[in-house]
Amino acid sequence: MSDIQTVQKVSVSKIKVSEKASPTWWLVFKREMADLWVGGKALNLMLIYSVVLGVMVYIYSFNSELSLIPPKEATYEMLKNAMSISLFIGLIIGADALSGERDRGTLESLLLTPTNRRQIMAGKFLAGLSQWPAAFLIALPFMKVLSQGDAVLGPAIFWGAVTGTMLAVGYTGVGMFVSFWSASNKTSYFISLGIYILFLVPAQLPGRAQTGAAGQFLQWVNPLAAVNHFLSKHLVNYRPFSEYWTWLESPVVFALLMVILLFFYAAPGLRIEAGRKSRLLAKLARPAAFLMIAGLIVASLVASPALAYQAKQTSGENLQISIDADVSEVKTGDTVEFNTTVTNGDAEASPPLIVAMNIINLDAKGDVVDPEDWSPQRTQYIESLAPGQSANLHWIINTILDGDSMVYMVLIPAPASKESTSQAIATSGIHLTVTPFTRLNPQGVLPYVIGAPVLLLAIIYFVYRRRNQQIDMGGSS
Amino acid sequence: MINNNHNAVTSNSQPEILVAEGLKKSYGPRRALKGLTFSLKAGRILGFLGPNGAGKTTSIRILTTMMEPEAGHFMIDGISSEYPEQIRRRIGVLPENLGFPRQMTGLEYLIYYGQLYGRTASEAKANALTLLEDVGLQQRGKSLIGSYSHGMRQRIGIARALVNDPVVVFLDEPTLGLDPRGQAELLELVQRIARERNTGVVLCSHLLSEIENVCDDVVILNLGQIVARGSVAEVVGRVQQNIILRNALRVQVPSESVAEARQVLEAMPNITGVMPVGELEGWLRMELVPPNDGDLATAHQLNNKILSALIKAKIPILGFEVEGGRLQDVFLHLTEESIK
Repeated sequence: MSDIQTVQKVSVSKIKVSEKASPTWWLVFKREMADLWVGGKALNLMLIYSVVLGVMVYIYSFNSELSLIPPKEATYEMLKNAMSISLFIGLIIGADALSGERDRGTLESLLLTPTNRRQIMAGKFLAGLSQWPAAFLIALPFMKVLSQGDAVLGPAIFWGAVTGTMLAVGYTGVGMFVSFWSASNKTSYFISLGIYILFLVPAQLPGRAQTGAAGQFLQWVNPLAAVNHFLSKHLVNYRPFSEYWTWLESPVVFALLMVILLFFYAAPGLRIEAGRKSRLLAKLARPAAFLMIAGLIVASLVASPALAYQAKQTSGENLQISIDADVSEVKTGDTVEFNTTVTNGDAEASPPLIVAMNIINLDAKGDVVDPEDWSPQRTQYIESLAPGQSANLHWIINTILDGDSMVYMVLIPAPASKESTSQAIATSGIHLTVTPFTRLNPQGVLPYVIGAPVLLLAIIYFVYRRRNQQIDMGGSS
Repeated sequence: MINNNHNAVTSNSQPEILVAEGLKKSYGPRRALKGLTFSLKAGRILGFLGPNGAGKTTSIRILTTMMEPEAGHFMIDGISSEYPEQIRRRIGVLPENLGFPRQMTGLEYLIYYGQLYGRTASEAKANALTLLEDVGLQQRGKSLIGSYSHGMRQRIGIARALVNDPVVVFLDEPTLGLDPRGQAELLELVQRIARERNTGVVLCSHLLSEIENVCDDVVILNLGQIVARGSVAEVVGRVQQNIILRNALRVQVPSESVAEARQVLEAMPNITGVMPVGELEGWLRMELVPPNDGDLATAHQLNNKILSALIKAKIPILGFEVEGGRLQDVFLHLTEESIK
């Protein structure tokens, strides 16, 4: 045996890297895209997705006919659900990206090539993201039909694209990161599903828990809940972007964090075995993951309804409130605007004042009205009024339920202390007569409900047929 | 049938393209490799043998840059193991249990990997077509790999391992699960790769007969260390002496002559325990009394005397075998400690 220093170099015409060769990430991306979309996995998932959206839009159309859900809210709900489902698809595709190749025994041959690990990761990541634009495109006709010409469609498309892309980056990244750490696909899917459910938990908390301090924080931290909150306030409740932009911080941080973890932590250590080879990091990773999950669970518990803020009422006098409307006849989905004027008749400055809107269904057998569904401005606050000073407040209502309703406002002086109370002052009411708006009906949405899956089936058939023409269908010999 | 005539066309003057020195690796308290040192010359086939857990897979993983050794280093084509990416450009690997993308055709598969090694699409396609022909899959290049038989998959796997014109090819159990014809065809392909491409081949196999027939050199691993290395003939010869002196001979005669042959052999000195061999038709096994001086030449003389006695008795000899004269005997002898 010779000494290692004496090895001769034999240049047996080994291949040179061509300058015209495609970059690795592009090759891996194309391969993964073919596997996902021609291989059928993504197309089949999209078919199921379109059927689910179709069923949803059909149900919404029923409700819309009954005037239960206005176009804005239906559009938002469709966008929210389309995003939730497509994020799940992205998570699953990401979860399969590396551990799936480990299971199938194909990762080793990829790693045995001189390709840069980051480029492998980039190709797989971009291919995993590809489901989001496709899912969003499929959702667009459904959103359009539910919006019924409402101006919400434009902002919904814009903000859906922006926030959906951020979340898709994060969710696909999470799936791939879990896949990176998982020795088998089963483990990867299981953990990814757990994470997905964990992200959904805050949105499933009772309403008061969500509005409590801890609940709000939990929603703000959770990228999916934060995006839903932002979209709901901005699209449905007319709240300006400047007021709610902070709710987009966590999705941005989430997306950036996952990209950094994938490309600067996972990619350089990508290997046949799960995770990175550093024993210290491997030892720390499991407790860290455990602590993170435990922390999220504890935070969920902290946000329980028992801890939600509960208000008490107290005192006030010589304050007046008036309203500039008395009756209004509209259709469901129409907007009603009016003003209230609050005047301080005292010789002293008033305490902080709160004006709250109430909407009552006059039909004893009808549904109870939730003013939050009707207006983005359930309450408005006035810091203080000087003696004799007045303040005008503008209000907007989106009529949702048809029937007879009464809108009235209540002025509440803030109590001076925990021990004191105040007298609420009510305005006269606005008698709203709302008649149904019935442009959307189940028959109207049927072409969309049936058309999308049928179109996808046609695409699948075309893709398979074209693929079959490219290959020789001979059996094994 | 594959013959071991490969030595005739490879020369010892070939440069060493793979040199490993003192490779060590542990899994927790278990030492999987205790200092692996060996080399391989261009155009030669090196058999890598060892019982389960001997360290074969660990060795291959290290040499193919899929795992880092704790100590030691290796060079391939003059490139140090400190440059794994450069090493990967120079090696081809057919791992054990290699998976294949079922939805790709053989041609697409080879083009894809050709491109990953830096070829343009047209170069990769031309190379892929040549490789398909080399491995006898030119008729099935446009079929989905999912429709391939196991043997065809192994062949497309070898083609993939050759896609970068490697200096060294590592084949881990390439014939596992193949029928005898498939095994023979694949081993012939391995020999052609070494001969025609002047590529060094490291062949891991549990089938000792295939190592014996195909390989020029052999490394036998046991408990993480090399217990024998050199050309197949050298290793067999070196160990044979120890085995042969305490072992036996087997001779095959026509079944109607078994009784007569037994009589002849039992009458000879230095032979004991002449017995038929199990169910084997016409085979007789006899144990040799070791020569007093322990001389191998004396033992060989005894072989000749046995044959002469049978010929003199006009008993046709259909087969004659020295126990311990094959690689299998050597392997079992060298690894028996771990088996015990």
